[in-house]
Amino acid sequence: MKRLVGILVFLVACVPTWAEWLPARPSRLVNDYSGILSGQQVAELEQRLVAFNDSTSNQVVVVITPTIEGDDEDAAAQRIGESWGVGQEKFDNGVVILIKSKTSEENWGAVAIATGYGVEGALPDIFCKRIIDDRMIGPLGEGDYFRSISGALDVMLPVLAGEYSYAQYRKDNLRAALLILGGFLLIFTIIIILIVRYCKKHPDQFRNNGRGGGGGTYFGGPIGGIFGGGVWGGGSSSSMGGFGGFGGGSFGGGGASGRF
Amino acid sequence: MKKTGIIIAIVAVLAVIVLWGIGVNNRLVTADEGVQKAWAQVENAYKRRADLVPQLVATVQGAADFEKGTLTEVTQARAGIDNVKVDPSTLTPEQIAAYQKAQDNLSNALANTIKVTVERYPELTATQSFRDLQVQLEGTENRIAVERGKFNEAVQSFNTSLRRFPNNIIASIAGFEKKGYFTAPEGSDEPVKVEFDFNK
Repeated sequence: MKRLVGILVFLVACVPTWAEWLPARPSRLVNDYSGILSGQQVAELEQRLVAFNDSTSNQVVVVITPTIEGDDEDAAAQRIGESWGVGQEKFDNGVVILIKSKTSEENWGAVAIATGYGVEGALPDIFCKRIIDDRMIGPLGEGDYFRSISGALDVMLPVLAGEYSYAQYRKDNLRAALLILGGFLLIFTIIIILIVRYCKKHPDQFRNNGRGGGGGTYFGGPIGGIFGGGVWGGGSSSSMGGFGGFGGGSFGGGGASGRF
Repeated sequence: MKKTGIIIAIVAVLAVIVLWGIGVNNRLVTADEGVQKAWAQVENAYKRRADLVPQLVATVQGAADFEKGTLTEVTQARAGIDNVKVDPSTLTPEQIAAYQKAQDNLSNALANTIKVTVERYPELTATQSFRDLQVQLEGTENRIAVERGKFNEAVQSFNTSLRRFPNNIIASIAGFEKKGYFTAPEGSDEPVKVEFDFNK
């Protein structure tokens, strides 16, 4: 017990002091720590970003926080990306959209977009700056956080999708998937043949219960499991529609910021 | 019979020590590689900034009543960084300090040039090309800060495992040496902050 406490104290001591405001890694892509967005708005954005993650492997995270405790907004967004591991480790294709909201104590707001190493080409700093200036600052000034985020995503997502397409992401995994799928189909076919033969040999046993074709459902599980977790989900254990977790992407300080 | 037993015991102990030494050595090699990789990223970030200097020069030269003196400082500082050579395989504290000094010179020169430009040529700062340049410089400074931080982390973990007993015995046999950190410049607690965003 004493040792356990010691380890805990050590772990707490390891957390760098600069990141006191930084929340622990969440299990969602839209994180409104200021409580500004309505539940419906959060759900809408979350759904959109999860679908984008599922189809392109790019991870875009939205964070709204009431404070960054004297940190630079650019640095804060970069730290979120790096410490949460936004994006796939292999591609570093994560993006963090950070909004420091206006509060009664701190009457200034800031927005920063941090790009992972892998998307610096698709979203150059100047492009991020344009997104912020043209799409985000205006609505943010009016207090419409949802419209600013959604407007930024309208521009950003198509560009990102072009950079890392679904096809490109799964290219490496596709062959393995086909092999596994082929293997399952083969075993499945053999079992079906065996069952059919058995049925033919012993027709009286199967005449009345009609369960002969039921074997297929037992194999839907494992095959579905491969697609859900191993291949399409990027190593996550996601269920349908949910966000499967961050991939360990890295950030090098790309992006832009602005104030409102 | 007794003699062979002793010999076997000695050989066994030596084998264990040698295997342990190889293990320590390999861990240090891995950490060393990590530092060199981080260093390459630092150099990339700084190079990116150095490459922006000609662009800055071209943009400012476009101003109607441009004075040559405005750009002397920044071009000299830009030339100064090429004179500092760093060996990525050693990265001694002296080398890092010299490198940092040259780069901090360029930081200051850039900050001054931008400041002077804004004062003398306010119409220039409203142009799209100057604004784009600001964004690029700002992004570059961010990248430098990030890569310097990552480099310092890599150096810290290398230096820690290097100096820890009994690893330090193996390290001195294998010829590993302590590496240098980036530090905050003298006379300030914070790294040089180049402020490009005048709309704040």
